Amino acid sequence: MLTDFATVLVFMVLGAVTVALLLLVSRLVQPRDPTPVKLSTYECGEVPFGSSWVQFNIRFYVVALIFIIFDVEVALLYPWAVIFQRLGMVAFVEAFVFIVILLAGLAYLWKEGDLDWVRTMQDAPARKEGK
Amino acid sequence: MPLGNFASLIHFLPELAVTATILLLVVVHVAGKNRQSAAPALLSLAGVGAALLLAALQPASAGRSLFEGMVALDGFAIFFKALTALATIVVIFMSMDSGELAGRSQAEYYIFLLSVLLGMFLLTASTDIVMLYLSLELVSIPSYLLAGYLKGRESSTEAAMKYVVYGATASGVMIYGFSLLYGLTGTTQIGEIGRALATGDAPLPVLLAAVMVTVGFGFKIAAVPFHMWSPDVYEGAPTPITAFLSVGPKAAGFAVLVRFFYTVFASPDVAAGVWKISSRVDWTLLFGVLSAVTMSVGNLVAVNQTNVKRLLAYSSIAHAGYMLMGFVLLTPAGLQAILFYLVVYLFMNLGAFYVVILVANGTRSENISDYSGLGSRAPFAAVSLAIFLFALTGIPPFSGFIGKVYLFAEVINRGVYWLAVVAALNSVVSLYYYARIVKVMFLEDPKDSTELPVPLFPRSVLCFLAIPTLLLGVYWEPVARVAANSVKLLAF
Amino acid sequence: MGLDKLLVISAALFCCGLYAILTRRNAVAVLMGVELVLNAANINFVAFSHYVSRVIGGQIFAVFVIVLAAAEAAVALAIFLRMYATTGTVEVDAADQLKG
Repeated sequence: MLTDFATVLVFMVLGAVTVALLLLVSRLVQPRDPTPVKLSTYECGEVPFGSSWVQFNIRFYVVALIFIIFDVEVALLYPWAVIFQRLGMVAFVEAFVFIVILLAGLAYLWKEGDLDWVRTMQDAPARKEGK
Repeated sequence: MPLGNFASLIHFLPELAVTATILLLVVVHVAGKNRQSAAPALLSLAGVGAALLLAALQPASAGRSLFEGMVALDGFAIFFKALTALATIVVIFMSMDSGELAGRSQAEYYIFLLSVLLGMFLLTASTDIVMLYLSLELVSIPSYLLAGYLKGRESSTEAAMKYVVYGATASGVMIYGFSLLYGLTGTTQIGEIGRALATGDAPLPVLLAAVMVTVGFGFKIAAVPFHMWSPDVYEGAPTPITAFLSVGPKAAGFAVLVRFFYTVFASPDVAAGVWKISSRVDWTLLFGVLSAVTMSVGNLVAVNQTNVKRLLAYSSIAHAGYMLMGFVLLTPAGLQAILFYLVVYLFMNLGAFYVVILVANGTRSENISDYSGLGSRAPFAAVSLAIFLFALTGIPPFSGFIGKVYLFAEVINRGVYWLAVVAALNSVVSLYYYARIVKVMFLEDPKDSTELPVPLFPRSVLCFLAIPTLLLGVYWEPVARVAANSVKLLAF
Repeated sequence: MGLDKLLVISAALFCCGLYAILTRRNAVAVLMGVELVLNAANINFVAFSHYVSRVIGGQIFAVFVIVLAAAEAAVALAIFLRMYATTGTVEVDAADQLKG
C-alpha cells in the first residue's frame, strides 16, 4: 500500500537535507578568490578553446530518424510473431501487406540517397534539382 | 455483430482507394524523373475522386461494424468521408494553382495530403479508442509536415514547429485521458465504455478523463483555449494547406467529437428524440461556455488583423464556436445543424482562401491593404470574394445565413437563450471585419492599377465554389435532408 | 506492486512531463516532456490491462503509443532540424515571427 512509500519519502527528504547542509557548510567555510583562469573550464590543464556545443554531422540525425521508423516496425511485429503459428495464413498475409507498405518507404529512402553514408558527387546536383 | 478483417474489406473501398493512391504516388516519386510534373496532382485527383464516388455509393442505411469493432460504417461516417474527400479535391485544385508550391517536389506533397485524408476517413468512423488515437495522429503528423512544406521560408518552418509542439502536447494529454477511461471501464470500445460509465459511479475521474480528451479534440477543431497554434500555423503554412486545415481536419475533429462524446457520455433516448447524459456533468453549461468563448475570442481578435490569412484563421476559430452551438444541445436537430453548416462552410471558406491564393499569385502579398481596388483590378475574383465573405458573415440570401438559422433555431428551441444572444452579437462583430475587406476592395483606390489576370481554370473552380454558396442560400432542402439522414449514429 | 503505486508513478511522470512542456524553452526538451506524458499513459494502460481488465486491449494500445511516439518524434526532430538550419536556434521563444 501507499504507506510503504513512507520509508522512501523519509529517505528522499534525508538525502535532500544532507546535500543542502553540505553545500551550505562548504559555502560558509570556503575561501573565495576567483580569477579568470580559475573560472575557466577545466580541460586537463589545457587552455580550452571554442564552444563545447560543436556541430555533429547532420547525417547522424538522419540515420537516427530512419532507425526509429524501422525500429518500431519490429515493435509491431513482436506480438505478431508470438501468435503467428496460431493464426496461420491470415496473419502472414496481414503482416506481408504491412511490410510491403514499409518497403515503399524504404524504396523512397534509397532513391533519395538517405541510405548512403558517403553521398556520391553525381547525386548532389540531382537532389538539388529535385527540391 | 462486428465483421472480421477480410469480410470488412468490401466495405472499406474508399479507404483502400486512398491507400492505393498513396502507394502509387510513392512509386511515381521514386521512379519519375521530373519532380515538378503535374502527374502526381492528377493521380491524386483520380484517387480522391474514386474514393468520393465509392463513399457516396456505400449504403447509408445499414450500419455495420468493421474490423472486429474498430471502425463503423454508418451514415455519419459516410457523410464525413464525402465531405472531407470533396474538400481534398478542391484543395488539390488550389495547390495546382498556387504560386507558393510551384517548383517544389510535388509527389511528396500529395502523399502527405492524401495521408491526412486517409486519417480523416478513419477518424470519423473509429469506434475504438486505439483506432481513434491512431487515426488522429495520422491526421496530425502529415499536417505538421504540410504546414512546414515551404522549405527555406522561415514563417513556414516556424508554423510547423509551433504546430508540432502544440499538437504533440494535446495528443499526449488526450492519450492520458484515454488511459483513465480504459482503467475505469476495462475496454477500448467506445460503445462499451459508454455502457460501463452509464452504470458506474465515479464522477471525478470521469470528469478528469473527459476534460483531458476534450483537450485533444479541442486542439483539432481549434476551440478556445486550445486554439493558440491556429493563427500562427494558418499564417505560416502554404495557403492551400491553410484552407485544407481550416476545413478538413476541423470537420473530422467535429465528427470525432460528436461520435466520441455522444457514445461515451450520453445514451440515445429514442422516445424523447434526444440524447441523455449518463454522467452528472453539466454538459450544456460546459460546452455552451466553450462555444461562446470560442466564437467571441475568434471574432474579437479578427477585428484587428491586417493579414488576410490571419484574419481568416480567427474567423475559422469563430466558426468552430458557432458549430459547437449545435453540439451542446444533445438533439439530432442540433447535429443536423452542425453537419449542414459544415457543408456550407466548406464552400465559402475554401472559396475565400482560393481568392487569397489567386491574389497572392499576382501581388505576392497577403495584406488587406494590398486588396485595395481589387474590384477594378480583378473584378471576377473580387466579386467572388465578396460573395464568400458575406456568406461567412451569415447575411441573407447567402448560404451561411441558412446554416446559422439552423444552429440558432435549435438553440432557441431548447431554451439556451444566452448562447443565442452571444452568437447574434458575434455575428454583428464579424460583419465589421468581413465588410472591411469588401470596402477596401471596392471603395478604395488601387495602389497599383494594373489588371490582375485570372485564368479560365481558376475561374471555373471559383464558380464551382460560388454557385453552391449562393444556391444553398435559396434551395437548401436536399442538403439539409442528407444531413438529417446522416445523424443516425451507430452506437456499438 | 499494487495498482495504486503504479498509478502514483504514472501520475508523477505525467506531471513531470507537463512541467517540462510548460517550462522548457528548448524545443527538443519540450519533446522530451511529451515523451514522458506518453509513457505515463503507457504505464496506465499496461497496469490497467494487468489489474482491471483481463483482455489485452491496454497492452495493444501501449504498443501503438510507442509506435506513434516514435513517428511523432521523427517528424518533430526533422522539423526542429529544419528550424535550426533556417534560424540557427530551436528555442521556442525565438519562434516569434508570427504573432498578432
